[in-house]
Amino acid sequence: MLPFIKANPLQKVSQDLRHDLLDMIYKNGGHIGGSLSSIDLITAVYFGNLFNFKKDHFILSAGHLAPALYTVLANAGYFSKKLLDTYSSFDSILQHHISRDVPGVEYSSGSLGQGLSFACGLALGNPKHTTICLTSDGEHQEGQIWESLLFAKKYKLGNLINIVDFNQFQIDGPVSEIMPLDNLAAKYIQFGWTVTTVDGHNFNQIISALKNAKKSDYPNCIIAKTTIGKGVSFMENNFKYHDVKNLSEVLYNQAKSEL
Amino acid sequence: MTNSIRQSFGDTLTKLAKNNKNIFVVNADLKSSLFLNDFAKKFPRCFIECGVAENNAAAIAAGLAQTGKTVFLTSFACFSPAINWNTIKQSICYNNSNVKIIGSHAGLMSTDLGATHQMLEDLALMRSLPNMEVFSPLDALETEKIVKTVSFSKKPAYIRLVRPSTQNLFDPKFDFTIGKSHILQPGKNITIIGHGPILEEAFQVQAKLNLDDKYKKITLEIINCSSIKPLDTTTILKSVKKTGRLICLEDHQKNGGLGEAVASLILTNNLSCKFIHLAVDNSFGRSAKTYQELYNYYGIGVNDLLSAVKKIILK
Repeated sequence: MLPFIKANPLQKVSQDLRHDLLDMIYKNGGHIGGSLSSIDLITAVYFGNLFNFKKDHFILSAGHLAPALYTVLANAGYFSKKLLDTYSSFDSILQHHISRDVPGVEYSSGSLGQGLSFACGLALGNPKHTTICLTSDGEHQEGQIWESLLFAKKYKLGNLINIVDFNQFQIDGPVSEIMPLDNLAAKYIQFGWTVTTVDGHNFNQIISALKNAKKSDYPNCIIAKTTIGKGVSFMENNFKYHDVKNLSEVLYNQAKSEL
Repeated sequence: MTNSIRQSFGDTLTKLAKNNKNIFVVNADLKSSLFLNDFAKKFPRCFIECGVAENNAAAIAAGLAQTGKTVFLTSFACFSPAINWNTIKQSICYNNSNVKIIGSHAGLMSTDLGATHQMLEDLALMRSLPNMEVFSPLDALETEKIVKTVSFSKKPAYIRLVRPSTQNLFDPKFDFTIGKSHILQPGKNITIIGHGPILEEAFQVQAKLNLDDKYKKITLEIINCSSIKPLDTTTILKSVKKTGRLICLEDHQKNGGLGEAVASLILTNNLSCKFIHLAVDNSFGRSAKTYQELYNYYGIGVNDLLSAVKKIILK
């Protein structure tokens, strides 16, 4: 008989967030695939009682995952949830790609590969607090990522955590076909980072990895194996749902019932 | 009397850092070239070395700035802002970070290094970015004044430096103010506007005119436009209204240079004037032993300016 494992309470939190996220993207379009793969990671960062974002920092390097972060920030009370309805609209502060005009956001981004460098700068300038960065796996094709890995090792940025949303897809298809990253963990280790690989939808694993990373003296990478479109069967592992413009009512209703 | 603009930069920053522990340098392996050895030795905690990784350096600078530092991002102009333009756009300008980009070895003045190192497009790249202010100091003294001034500002800025020692032209009585130009020599007939040490040619041309019976009554109004963005619209428009003739002189491509900014300003204000833009015209640079050889080859030398003066006076 399998031992009874108590469900992590964050599971319920992220389930509610997924509903908000889906509603937001149904109304306005957006990068749903990566938002659904990364939202558990962002939920753990903000609702896991590990960090204090009056002092610690969170940088979303993969700026197209803005819907996930906006949803988390709205539910964490940074701004009214009503604003989510205005996402990506002309008169909204909720820009399509993440924008620091939004309360709680520290870094505007959308062009990939820069956020981890920015996070290194923050970690260096604010050594007593933790800087967490979220990058995507496809983003690692940008050369600048590797420049920042060298830098973090050289300056011994033990207060830096990079979470990789490893969902194995990018806009045109599987990462393994577009430009394989092969053994990403081995590459990080070679660059002098501490690496933990987790199931990016298992809160116990994510929280435990974050706790260990917080204590570490070395820059830390958490490779989170995730599923693009997680929670909605027809979106899972389907790169067509990297970004949606018009989700039909039928599919929306199906997605809602599955969540 | 000549002095080094680059040395002035390094010395000024080292002096400023004595009283301001928040001044940081983020460098891309050109510490010696930017006269920052002393800074790095005296303030090792504030000197961040990124190696030849200009994109990373630009975003590191922006992240550090977010923690309350005033960050000087130092390299050659042909690498920063040339390689890392989009990182400057997003991480520095869009995020409105307190980063001052120092692009050394700009223009044909980097001489023997040739086309790859003669950055002739930096002003075009930097002028086009929202939130970015753009400066091109006339000489070593103005470099000091500009570096001091921007160190008190929180805005992103680009400062263009050149390689050789250059003529001292800046009047010590003047202060540098963002958005203000200085009239180095008042005149009646032709406005000569430019930026950087190349403006020295205007004084040489005036001396030649003074010796020529046919032209000795012509006086040039020489304007040092070190604040390229924002522009000093008042001084420029007033001078052009007076003279009706304008020559813009710069060690940069015509495309995207100061000449375009000034021409646009004049047209926007419903003025018209005779106009010659002396700048590198859609060409790459090349090696030479002296920059004067290059200035003559690319049509921005003293004789080219003299010819332009004689031509525009007849127009």
